[in-house]
Amino acid sequence: MREFILSSTGVSGMTVLGASTLNFINPPAGSSIDISFIRHWVGQVANVNSVMQPIQLVTQVTAFPTLISATPRRVQLADPNASTITGATNGAAGTCGINASSEGAGAKTLWWPDSFNVVNGYLKVNTPEERDVIPSAYTSGVGLWFSVAPATLTGWTWGETFAEIA
Amino acid sequence: MANDDAHLLIGRALGQLYRRENKTETYVSVPPALVITDSDGATWTMGFKKLVHGREFEFSVLRNDVDTGEMAKRIEYTKGVVRIFGQYGWRSFSRSRRHFI
Repeated sequence: MREFILSSTGVSGMTVLGASTLNFINPPAGSSIDISFIRHWVGQVANVNSVMQPIQLVTQVTAFPTLISATPRRVQLADPNASTITGATNGAAGTCGINASSEGAGAKTLWWPDSFNVVNGYLKVNTPEERDVIPSAYTSGVGLWFSVAPATLTGWTWGETFAEIA
Repeated sequence: MANDDAHLLIGRALGQLYRRENKTETYVSVPPALVITDSDGATWTMGFKKLVHGREFEFSVLRNDVDTGEMAKRIEYTKGVVRIFGQYGWRSFSRSRRHFI
């Protein structure tokens, strides 16, 4: 199984704008590959006070967020295949990115709401029967986003592991 | 870092340094938490190596980003002891800080 990681960068986490998309993945148009998420995580590296932070998985139609381009990394270093999804700033089909600077005008549809204590962080592991799957050629992208601005904007780290299933 | 307070608990997880004022509260479990900070300041989390057992994923157990060689479905902090649950049942991190028993 081809598995990839899309995550934040930097050794001290990243600064988010507020209520913003952390990761955005948009499946390729005309593809037969499903995107199956294995896990999602969010952490706060700084020494912070205990507070609950909402987090959501959402789908979003065009117009998509404006992002920092990021390329999915292979989980298995020996995997000769690159991801079918490439890094881009516009969130278009077949692309992905991180840490949105603008959310875009496209409507977001709630897929999975959750919340976590920022001291402990958030790890959502999907059991095999309950994986979040984006079907091939789905016309919306999927975002991991803070629906409410966090109390501390700096020091965030996050990521998603996903499998591409032909 | 030179400007860190001496009392801070500082550990590493998934390539990042985590600073905490206090150890994690008892009965916190990974998942759904991302990290556990124990009284030594070590940070525990799940790595990326995985297998499927009993319809659930087991992931590698990382302590300060070092693979402990163990696989688990849960890491739990209970009354000051780090415990893992996997296909071999519940096991606790030893007082010697070397292995799970």
